[in-house]
Amino acid sequence: MSSASIVLRSALCGVLFLAGAAAGFPTSARAATLDIPTPYVPSTELNVDEMLRLADVKASDVVYDLGSGDGRIVIAAARDWGARGVGIEIDPKLVAESRERAQRAGVANRVSFREGDVLKAAVSEATVVTMYLLTPLVARLQPKLLAELKPGARIVAHDYPFADWKPDRHVRVSKNFYLYVVPAKITGKWQLAVPVGGAVREYELELSQRFQEVSGGARVAGGYLPAFEARLAGERIAFVLVDDNTSYRFEGRVSGHAMEGEVRWGAGPRQQQSTWRATRIVGVGEG
Amino acid sequence: MNVGLTRRQFIAGSAVLAGAAIVPVIAQSQFFDVPFVPTPQVVVDEMLRLANVTSKDLVYDLGSGDGRIVITAARKFGARATGVELDNHLIYQSEESARQANVLDRVKFLQQDFFKTDFSDATVVTLYLLPAVMKRLRERMLQLKPGTRLVAHDFDFDDWRPDVKTTIRKNVFLWIVPAHAGGRWQVRAGLPGGELVFDMELRQKYQELDGFTRFDGQPGGLWEAKLEGDRIRFVVVDGRDRDNEATLYLEGRVSGSTMEGDLVRGVGNQQARFKWRAVRTGDGPPVKK
Repeated sequence: MSSASIVLRSALCGVLFLAGAAAGFPTSARAATLDIPTPYVPSTELNVDEMLRLADVKASDVVYDLGSGDGRIVIAAARDWGARGVGIEIDPKLVAESRERAQRAGVANRVSFREGDVLKAAVSEATVVTMYLLTPLVARLQPKLLAELKPGARIVAHDYPFADWKPDRHVRVSKNFYLYVVPAKITGKWQLAVPVGGAVREYELELSQRFQEVSGGARVAGGYLPAFEARLAGERIAFVLVDDNTSYRFEGRVSGHAMEGEVRWGAGPRQQQSTWRATRIVGVGEG
Repeated sequence: MNVGLTRRQFIAGSAVLAGAAIVPVIAQSQFFDVPFVPTPQVVVDEMLRLANVTSKDLVYDLGSGDGRIVITAARKFGARATGVELDNHLIYQSEESARQANVLDRVKFLQQDFFKTDFSDATVVTLYLLPAVMKRLRERMLQLKPGTRLVAHDFDFDDWRPDVKTTIRKNVFLWIVPAHAGGRWQVRAGLPGGELVFDMELRQKYQELDGFTRFDGQPGGLWEAKLEGDRIRFVVVDGRDRDNEATLYLEGRVSGSTMEGDLVRGVGNQQARFKWRAVRTGDGPPVKK
């Protein structure tokens, strides 16, 4: 098996250089979608382990493998991590093989395989998506995954990353693996309220995002406080506002047009905290 | 505050005209002029927070100015702290502020050139010094105990990349003094199928590591190697059995010419944990700097 996969690997490199030469590829299988020929090159067991490890798969996860080939990622997710798995594969022979392998691995009740095109597949229930697809298809999947997956869903790409979406993590163990966490949509103006010492401080928070990268600040009477160290990981948000020579460290969760969480200020053991809430008053394209 | 801004522009100017004698403020060393530009309190707080200062720490502030970092470390974080400052007047002012903040029992101010100060017992060192001075201090910092945290703002250690950088008004940098891990090592771990032995060569540049392994003389990869103080972790792939390659995740501590820690094999519910130990077998190539 491994020598075969080495041959396929070098053939795959060839395909990348001779873009579109996949017609001459030594396998007739097309793993993913009809209009972008995708060679079938199985990830090795090591690669599978690393992808699922990077996604930090839990028993509560639903793992979708886009272009699931012989089903090995989906089966490993169920067998080794206790998750539920779904494979999307365009080649009916591979779908049949996947089902057999799942039966043999004793995980048939926790996995399913759908014959179909990954660009048309319903994926919204996925909490983890894995893919080992060539760049053009990865690029076509990006808007679909961003639109359909829930904030917090993890995407792991093997070898071929998204072009303009920076990974939240990149690890190299024999191969390159990229982890993306689908960010909540936070762009817009928010009314932020912080109860401090009996009074409620109000700010108008203006945020914009490029994927998980956040910038913005807060308007207060007579000034503007830039948001420092702004972070977005799925629906978890954090930022720092410096007011009156004190850093207010906000952490919380985004849920639709509301955010809430805790804010801490002061240093060392003298730290104080309060809760905060924000409501979106102007959304994307409205302001 | 306005004065601070003026001084800030001043320091920018003096950095350009390196060593310019026009700086009408305090010289910290006879070789390098370091103007006294107070760090804003919010940045002081951020430096000490980033270094995760606790009451167990001994903080040295090199060029302690009016003592605000030293006093904050003692007053807000409960640490012991020592400031080193050349200017008598600022030392006097610092001691007065420490008295008012009621932290005299936990702080000390030394009136001297910090290039002559022994701060080898520091667990945290704070710095706000011009690039030429930072560069000159770098070698001494690397001689501190592994795990010592260094925090600076605005100016960094050039090609020694910070372990963490945050921006709260200013850029604040954290470095953790790395142990010496570069060289040749032999790693041993007791696994169920027998003892695992492999050779490893680590190349180190500050806290950054790379290298390779040999299993029975056969070259293998070494991945995701990280060093944080004396804590090391890396991933190796045992590829001797091509049909049954194994990824091994190692974590541990470096102590002189030995390392030891935990090794994890497998993932998910297949995961198993073992002990590993390594002994230095050679120096390897010289450390890249």
